[in-house]
Amino acid sequence: MSRWLYRLLLMFLILYIIVPLLMPVIFSFSIFWQDILPQGFTLRWYEAILTRPKNYSALMVSLIVATGAVLLNFIICVPAAYALNRLETPIGKRLRALSSVLPLVFPPVIVGTALVLAFSRPPLALTGSIFMVIVAHALIGLPFMFRNTLVSFRTIDERTLSEAAASLGATLWQRMRYVIVPNVLPGVLAGALLVFAISIGEFEVTSMVAGFTAQTLPLQLFQQIRNDMRIASAISAFLVYVSVLSFLGMNYLGRKMQGLSQQQ
Amino acid sequence: MSKSKPRYWVEYLFLIPFVGFLSVFELYPLVNMALRSVVETGGGSVSFQYYANILSQPHYRMAVRNSLFFATACSLVGGIGGTFVGYIVPRLPGRYRSLLLSLYSLPMTLSGLVVAFAFIVLLGRNGVLNLIVQRLLGLPRDVYFDVYSWPGLVVVYAFYQIPLMTLTMAAVFGNLDRSLIEAARNLGARPLQVWRYVIIPTLAPGFVAGMSIQFAGMMGAFGTVLALVGGARNLLSVQIYYHISESTYNLPQAAALSVVLVSIIAGVLTLLNLFEKALRPGG
Repeated sequence: MSRWLYRLLLMFLILYIIVPLLMPVIFSFSIFWQDILPQGFTLRWYEAILTRPKNYSALMVSLIVATGAVLLNFIICVPAAYALNRLETPIGKRLRALSSVLPLVFPPVIVGTALVLAFSRPPLALTGSIFMVIVAHALIGLPFMFRNTLVSFRTIDERTLSEAAASLGATLWQRMRYVIVPNVLPGVLAGALLVFAISIGEFEVTSMVAGFTAQTLPLQLFQQIRNDMRIASAISAFLVYVSVLSFLGMNYLGRKMQGLSQQQ
Repeated sequence: MSKSKPRYWVEYLFLIPFVGFLSVFELYPLVNMALRSVVETGGGSVSFQYYANILSQPHYRMAVRNSLFFATACSLVGGIGGTFVGYIVPRLPGRYRSLLLSLYSLPMTLSGLVVAFAFIVLLGRNGVLNLIVQRLLGLPRDVYFDVYSWPGLVVVYAFYQIPLMTLTMAAVFGNLDRSLIEAARNLGARPLQVWRYVIIPTLAPGFVAGMSIQFAGMMGAFGTVLALVGGARNLLSVQIYYHISESTYNLPQAAALSVVLVSIIAGVLTLLNLFEKALRPGG
């Protein structure tokens, strides 16, 4: 009896996430959905994203922005995580604490407002450019990238490992090539995937700083939810695929990381 | 090697991109925003006009009140739901545990607009779930769950909030040391004492951290609301959005509203922290 109740509960908990995720996917493949069950099968709405210039350019802008945000975060976070993992000074500790509290107290809507206020007037009229959107997405993704990277430096205990390698006569280049990079890479890549997925779906800050020139896919989706649910369904489904794929990737990397820490 | 005092010049060098980027694109804009809310551009005279507006004009006061209620309601739903699921997850067999944890980390990256779309299809006026319930119970067409109402918005945001809290609480419950509880029992602690002095203090830091994330996130959320009801629901975050990017363009007012929003978050986070400290035994 309680065993069945448990199974039922488990079933419900799984469906709670899966059913909403499936809605845009089912909608995007069906010709018509007004009643309980959808009707017909079509790829027309996906075709529309790729052939309508407005949607296609939004797709490209989204990909460029997400890639840019990931690269920017890579340059900023990897050296910083390396350094903050080692810094045992008060400044180091304060920066580590700050990096976890800042994004909490300043949610995206505030980041967006502050960016618009600071960069909308000459000589710093950057809002409305794709550069500003990349910066905004990098800011939103930064806590996730930073945390993932710092954790992977922590779990492998980079400091001890590097010192051991150095005492065995490994040069700096050899330490990087054979010790640090292979051990930290899964965590860094997981962070990068997370930033990519967040950037592809980001709507709130984008809508504040993007203007008309940097129209991303979610901005298009926002218009289409009011105009045409079928086009909206294909864009939504695409965003679901990106989320699911990046999570499959992160799970794979997570298992790899677990393997690494168990080897030690 | 003779290292008496470690020198960190490489580390400080590596911090330059991080500190530089955050100073230019986060710190400077935030300070600038706080200044712009009280200092007129050009003239340089200080005025608290925009704060006075928030206190005196009913729609701003309403926005503050709505945001407080809405964020609290969503945090409570997310907090209770997530604690419940987080309690179950560590008790599941390994296969299901990792499946549930992966599934429940999905909504984190999902666009708010996708969630809005999904719930329009599920619970809109012609929503699938609404139709199913109507047919099953033989209800008339005008009886349905309204996803565009306040309770509807809470249900939609729960799709973010419950999974987020689940991730936190699953870790917290997973770390709860059973032997500590048994030790307390063996020493003769009554069930109530075990809860008060062992279980609650262990759970409290994680729970409070989770609730802080919930509340702060909800105070700032507006994407899904905007996609579902436009400006029809008056929230502080929605007001800020409209002052930044729509017809009611008014940057200093947006700055003042933002400062109010940040202050509310900071205040509530401080309260939650004090609450957690008070729960510590002997504290």
